[in-house]
Amino acid sequence: MMNNRKLYKGMSLKLLLHFLSPFNKEIMMRLRLTVTLLTICSTQILANVFGQRITLNERNASLISVLKKIEKQSGYTFFYNKREVDVEKININVREGEIAHTLDILFKDKPYGYDIQDKIIVLNKKEQQRQGESVIPVKVIQQTAIKGKVQDEKGQPISGVSIHINEGADGGAITDKEGFFTIVASPRDRLTFRFVGKEPVTVTVGNQKEILVTMLEKADVMEDVVVVAFGNQKKSDMVGSVTSVNPSDLKVPSSNLTTALAGRAAGVIAYQRSGEPGADNAEFFIRGVTTFGYKKDPLILIDGIEFTTTDLARLQVDDIKNFSILKDATATALYGSRAANGVILVTTKNGIEGKAKLAFRLENSVSTPTQNVELADPVTYMKLSNEATLTRDPLGQILYDDRKIENTVVGGNSIFYPSNDWREILFKDYTINQRANLSVSGGGGVARYYVSGSVNKDNGLMKVDKRNNFNSNIDLKSYSLRSNVNIDLTKTTEMIVRLSGNFDDYSGPIDGGKEMYGKVMRTNPVLFPAYYTTDENNPYNTHIMFGNYDDGSYLNPYADMVKGYKEYARSVMLAQLELKQNLDFFTEGLSFSGMMSTTRNSYFDVRRAYKPFWYSMSGYDERTGAYALMNINPTTGTEYLDYNEGPTNVNSNFYLETRLNYNRTFNKHGVSALLVSMAQTQLNANAGDLQKSLPYRNFGISGRSTYDYDKRYYVEFNFGFNGSERFYKTQRFGFFPSVGLAWTVSREKFFEGIKPVISNLRVRGTYGLIGNDAIGSADDRFFYLSNVNMNDADRRAFFGNDAGNMYMLNGISTSRYSNQGITWEVSTQKNLALELGLFDRLNITAEYFSQYRDRILMTRAAIPVEAGFSAPIKANLGAASANGIDVSMDYKYNFSSDLWLSAMGNFTYSKNKYEVYEEPKYNEAYRYRVGNSINQKYGYIAERLFIDDEEALNSPRQNFGEYGGGDIKYLDVNRDGEITEADMVPIGNPTVPEIVYGFGFSAGYKGFDISAFFQGLANESFWIDAEATAPFVQHNQLLKVYADSHWSEDHRDIYALWPRLSSTVNKNNTQPSTWFMRDGAFLRLKQVEVGYTLSDELARKIYMSKLRIYVNASNLLAFSRFGLWDVEMGGEGLGYPIQKVFNIGLNININ
Amino acid sequence: MKIEMKKYIQIIPVLLFVFVVLESCSKYLDVVPDNVATLENAFSRRIEAEKYLHTCYSYLPKHSDVDDDPAMVGGDELWRFVERTGFSEMARGFQNKVSPLGDRWSKYFNGIRDCNVFLENIHKVPDLDDFERNRWVAEVKFLKAYYNFYLVRMYGPIPIMDHTLPVDVEGNDLKIFRTPVDACFDYIVQLIDESMTDLPMLIIDPTREMGRITLPIAYSFKAEVLVYAASPLFNGNTDMVSLKNPDGTALFNTTFSQEKWRVAADACQEAIDICHQAGYKLYEFPGSFQYALSDVIKTQLSIRNVVTEKWNNEVIWANTQTNSTAIQRLTTPFLDPQNLDLTVTRGELSPPLKVAEMFYTSNGVPIDEDKNWNYNARYTLKTATASDELYIRKDYTTAYLHFNREPRFYANLGFDGGVWYGQGIYDDQKPADLFYIAAKFRQRNGYGKPGFGTVTGYFVKKLIHYENVIAKTGNEYSVVYYPSTIMRLADLYLLYAEALNEAEAPLDDILEYVDKVRKRADLDPVKYSWDNFSTNPSKYETKVGRREIIRRERLIELAFEGKRFWDLRRWKEAARELNLPVKGWDLLQQDADVYYRPTTIYSQTFGLKDYFWPIKETTMNRNLNLVQNIGW
Repeated sequence: MMNNRKLYKGMSLKLLLHFLSPFNKEIMMRLRLTVTLLTICSTQILANVFGQRITLNERNASLISVLKKIEKQSGYTFFYNKREVDVEKININVREGEIAHTLDILFKDKPYGYDIQDKIIVLNKKEQQRQGESVIPVKVIQQTAIKGKVQDEKGQPISGVSIHINEGADGGAITDKEGFFTIVASPRDRLTFRFVGKEPVTVTVGNQKEILVTMLEKADVMEDVVVVAFGNQKKSDMVGSVTSVNPSDLKVPSSNLTTALAGRAAGVIAYQRSGEPGADNAEFFIRGVTTFGYKKDPLILIDGIEFTTTDLARLQVDDIKNFSILKDATATALYGSRAANGVILVTTKNGIEGKAKLAFRLENSVSTPTQNVELADPVTYMKLSNEATLTRDPLGQILYDDRKIENTVVGGNSIFYPSNDWREILFKDYTINQRANLSVSGGGGVARYYVSGSVNKDNGLMKVDKRNNFNSNIDLKSYSLRSNVNIDLTKTTEMIVRLSGNFDDYSGPIDGGKEMYGKVMRTNPVLFPAYYTTDENNPYNTHIMFGNYDDGSYLNPYADMVKGYKEYARSVMLAQLELKQNLDFFTEGLSFSGMMSTTRNSYFDVRRAYKPFWYSMSGYDERTGAYALMNINPTTGTEYLDYNEGPTNVNSNFYLETRLNYNRTFNKHGVSALLVSMAQTQLNANAGDLQKSLPYRNFGISGRSTYDYDKRYYVEFNFGFNGSERFYKTQRFGFFPSVGLAWTVSREKFFEGIKPVISNLRVRGTYGLIGNDAIGSADDRFFYLSNVNMNDADRRAFFGNDAGNMYMLNGISTSRYSNQGITWEVSTQKNLALELGLFDRLNITAEYFSQYRDRILMTRAAIPVEAGFSAPIKANLGAASANGIDVSMDYKYNFSSDLWLSAMGNFTYSKNKYEVYEEPKYNEAYRYRVGNSINQKYGYIAERLFIDDEEALNSPRQNFGEYGGGDIKYLDVNRDGEITEADMVPIGNPTVPEIVYGFGFSAGYKGFDISAFFQGLANESFWIDAEATAPFVQHNQLLKVYADSHWSEDHRDIYALWPRLSSTVNKNNTQPSTWFMRDGAFLRLKQVEVGYTLSDELARKIYMSKLRIYVNASNLLAFSRFGLWDVEMGGEGLGYPIQKVFNIGLNININ
Repeated sequence: MKIEMKKYIQIIPVLLFVFVVLESCSKYLDVVPDNVATLENAFSRRIEAEKYLHTCYSYLPKHSDVDDDPAMVGGDELWRFVERTGFSEMARGFQNKVSPLGDRWSKYFNGIRDCNVFLENIHKVPDLDDFERNRWVAEVKFLKAYYNFYLVRMYGPIPIMDHTLPVDVEGNDLKIFRTPVDACFDYIVQLIDESMTDLPMLIIDPTREMGRITLPIAYSFKAEVLVYAASPLFNGNTDMVSLKNPDGTALFNTTFSQEKWRVAADACQEAIDICHQAGYKLYEFPGSFQYALSDVIKTQLSIRNVVTEKWNNEVIWANTQTNSTAIQRLTTPFLDPQNLDLTVTRGELSPPLKVAEMFYTSNGVPIDEDKNWNYNARYTLKTATASDELYIRKDYTTAYLHFNREPRFYANLGFDGGVWYGQGIYDDQKPADLFYIAAKFRQRNGYGKPGFGTVTGYFVKKLIHYENVIAKTGNEYSVVYYPSTIMRLADLYLLYAEALNEAEAPLDDILEYVDKVRKRADLDPVKYSWDNFSTNPSKYETKVGRREIIRRERLIELAFEGKRFWDLRRWKEAARELNLPVKGWDLLQQDADVYYRPTTIYSQTFGLKDYFWPIKETTMNRNLNLVQNIGW
């Protein structure tokens, strides 16, 4: 077989050539035309005089005057360079000559040639022509100076309006402070006036010498036009389900865009589990989760290219032009196989014609944990640790004798009786972050540009030891640079070049922030101090004398934090070329476009650390206070940094797309059609095994056709025809059609009367299929092939009689058995929507959706263990469904020109369930998953704690290990006298919330604005990790709530929060059960903001067009039934806490 | 017209492009090159096939590894801290069917499948000569037999999987049932018999092949299997009468068969003959070049080294997949008073008092039968004199129990006051220099360092190579490696004696091999010892008495070698022994008079259900034809 890489390369080159060939021809032909036809003469007028004969009799005339006479007589127009033709004295005598004949005489022996094209004659120097250089003609058309003024609808002058002659062909002017302008133009010229936020105005000059232009406010682009798959649609024409988010709503005081998603858009389920810089991506799902495969999150497309969640997180809100969420089959069909979980579609800003506009944003914020987990004090820790040992084993060896406890209470010698608040030792109370963003945009007639750059700096909460000369705190700097340039190659050809790069430079603790918080929770507070100060026995030590115990195998989180640092660098670079060709000349409404893009991702990390020297106390003399420090690891500690390479991930993506688009309205009939073909390939450099190293590919052809009648009745048909490399030949392609209907009721005649009240009423519905090839797990590629590891160290064997030199061979193992039948997962989606507008102020969109996901890949349950398969056997057997509603509403009202109010709210409810799931045959009906949520957790019903050992003995046997009085008593659901897996029932709500909602308002009075936004979720359960929080196990910390409420022999509280203490993990108590189940519902004040915008006059005085200062805060308040940690973190409460942020920002625009 | 043409020309590349893409899309998605590794590659060349042979071997259990071998801490022979999980929990009675401790069902069925894959494909290897192929096939058949035996020993009757099943199986259509236990044993023996034709007598290339299966291994394993099949747990076990397949097939025979013992005895004899032929004999310490050692120490080293001296001439089969370093570290106490800060030695595997009491007196009879040994005074105190100084440190006061015991007691156990030969000090002419144990509270080997040390007052000495040396500073302990013994000649001798006794062979034949084992331990023959020292001198004359003697001899000789756990089960003695409390000394005491009070550490319980492992619930759910073991 042919080498694939070659095939790929050869092919892409071929594709590229094909792609470029129209472009090449276009350039050659179009460029000439454009240069030549700098001004268009009215062909109709000139046609009348076409073919007229010329009579001339001139002596010592200037060439120019001769040419003018010829123009008058013939109707031809000359193009030439004035400087080059004006000098000569001309003698000519012609009677009734043809134009060509006349010119031949005129230019005989003269260094000029001519070229007649239509009604235009271009003069050029002969030698130039020979060299093939382009001509530099000058038009010779009667021109006059025209004065004018531009004002807005209130009569206020507008300064900075750009004026273009004949759509930017050449020339131009800009209005001054008072809105006045002067421009030289000929009567046939058309002047176009453009200004940001205003509708462009075009005026034909004619005989006017003075022109007054009134520019009207532009209808809001953001709200009216929605970005949909491969194009834009007016909101009022939508058939599919698309939520458009106003980019400014996504502006949060964070360097992570994804944290803003929750509650902002109907149809999005989102939550955030961590506040760690660089690891604080929110999880989000469109209309919930409907599969149990690995790919649950939506497709993210930025300018048409697939990106990861982190890339979305790093996107600058200021650069976003449109942000859409595509939710149903009709909306996503064109993306075919990639879009079964919905699509987030983002387009970035383009330059707009006009002089350079500069926008600058600067933010500085203070962030602090919303809540810290409270720990018990060290004395309580020791007392209860002893209790934990003795209550389980009266003969047990207690760790802390009375003397140690008493001395710790007194607090005398903190070196010998350490008592550490590790969190205080490791972490600061707050940290400061900065963000800056600058963009410049503008452009002339031929090209427009948008260039932006941003720098974000996020710091962690870790303290830094001054004795180290490196920074072990989290320091995440992310930079991005973007350049979008649109070039009009011809009047009908537009080329768009987008280049962007996004770079993270991270420096932080070796184990990351979450792990540092985790380590604090796993460290004994009273065994040793973080470090000892130098004493006389160790005068020469230049290293930090970190505390430890015994053999030095105890966790000292401080040492782990400051012993070194990790640096990582992540970058994404994108180069994108898009070409749009208007094919109106072929048939009106037809256009073609092609896009080619490549992205390169890279990530690497490096760790540098020394091995801490551990010290412990020996020979403490209580009377004199003398002690000696003993170095536990003199041979393994180091004073120098060691170096360790982390993973290096590099991958490249190539994407190619062509579209043919047709869009036209015939009277009341609107018709459109779109045909797209796309091919995508991704290659990973460090894939890990051969199968993963092969390119990841996707290929598809998709199409859309729409028809509407009178903007009242709409029908839309879409299809995707997709191929995936993961499946066997016969299963490789899938066809996924969808259809939609809409009816704008409010445009019906009978509705006229109601319109003042119900300004808009529209219903729409869609039905369709979407495929998904991202099934199983990402590592499971090529289901039709077995995956055999020919070198598996887990299956190795040793032989020989020499311990140091055994004969060893690795074994062979199979991690997947081949199955040629595995194929697409198919999602059938339905959507019904109602749009309602009231009084032109309140808009409500309510949608009902349902989805049936079929042929989900799952592990066969009925394969007997005795068959001995070393890998699970899988098949497309599963099915799941989801349904729900999403509702959004917004309200806007201007009370006066100074006072306005807007409010918004949205609500998403999505409930899913298993429809088909192969399971063993159970005796108990409740064990089957079918009918339960995909995210449903199963567990035991905890009744209470056992009162005593005797009760435990006389209760149904619990099969998880040691238990007795004070341990959790589970309900014997099937009453077989034993607690086994058969007693596990669905408990609680799903682990992914079913309800996410948000609401807020903003209001403004003159320059002031204020806004507040609340967000919440409901129908979610989470579990306190009983194993991770188990006190004393591996020297785990003791949570204060456990210290306050636990079962003890003296206080047999059978409803205490924590069961009987234990110094080991008690497996009976750590079973998944209702005991540690908590309600994840919450409502939080996500953001409040107050801003002041300087009045235009004031801004202008300091040479700005806009200046806004604002203060905002996020995560200020939360309401929930859970108090141990920030409830949004769910079961990961011991990690890096979610941050509360106070932020001050400055926003400047200069036009 | 010309312009119209141009328009058409412009559209052509577009159409052409679409066409090209469509045409090539199928190839575009065909990214997998032809030579991706599949199972065929495993049998395409000898070297890959050898890897598959290693794969089959890789399932061998890690004998003597406390986390993989239930026989170490899963019974009553060794005890450890209550915090320890794994098989220790099983010993404490927390076996369960939800996630059974030490569940090996899926592991060995995977192993059996790999053996089947090997056997079904090995004929495809082109560059493998017949001689080698036959040897490999024989080895894999043996391993298959071993894995089946391992499962039977744990779970009782199991389904026999003699060939690989296709991937598209439907579980319940397959009718995979548990096979009656006799048929299981027959199948195992048949596999061993098949393997015997092509196994080598000896390993020719020890540096590359020690640990591979040989003919003596196959014979002695067959003997062991047949002894198991004849033992009370599997031979006429009426307790398991209700264990039946869903179709009513009884899985246990309920009538005892004397014939099974005769078959077992014959197999033992054959095995012994083959082993003798191959040159195996009972190991004896050859002596030291450096020091002229006393007989006391030489005998001790004969007993210790039979386990710890790798590939000595008594070891028939040792497991090269296990690294004994871990068990040696786990058992070594803080011997060297100059370095007590070690953490690489833990000394935490603790023999209970009943194991200490199991060993004979120096007269070779049980302590409660010896006329010259005061059984009732065994917990009183006695101070060691010069005559004890190779056993107990001179002038040290310790329990009477520790005096005048057989050499295996001193070779097997460390105890408070006990002298510990080796570990860097080898001159037994200066007994005062030898290491000794001081195990009372706050003493160096006593209770007090959390996570280290004994919980009963006793330490295991036998598993530690006497040349392991504890470093004077730092945290270093140099360990002499040995592969864990699976089968040695003394084991086979005692199996033979047991089988002969049950098969009612002549008295002298029965005792011949017991006496050989006793002789190596410097004990007199059974008849002499009982005649002269026992309060029950005629004990060996009855079958039951002999049974007791042979079983005890076996428990003593093979102590800490992973046999007691299984032997107590196959004799159906576990229900008695494992219901006795686990006892040790009163470790929290600093003075001898209170230290030597037997203290119950744990009240162990053992029920009928504990004879066999529970089959995991989820395993049961995946094959509804399986029946759960009794009591689970």
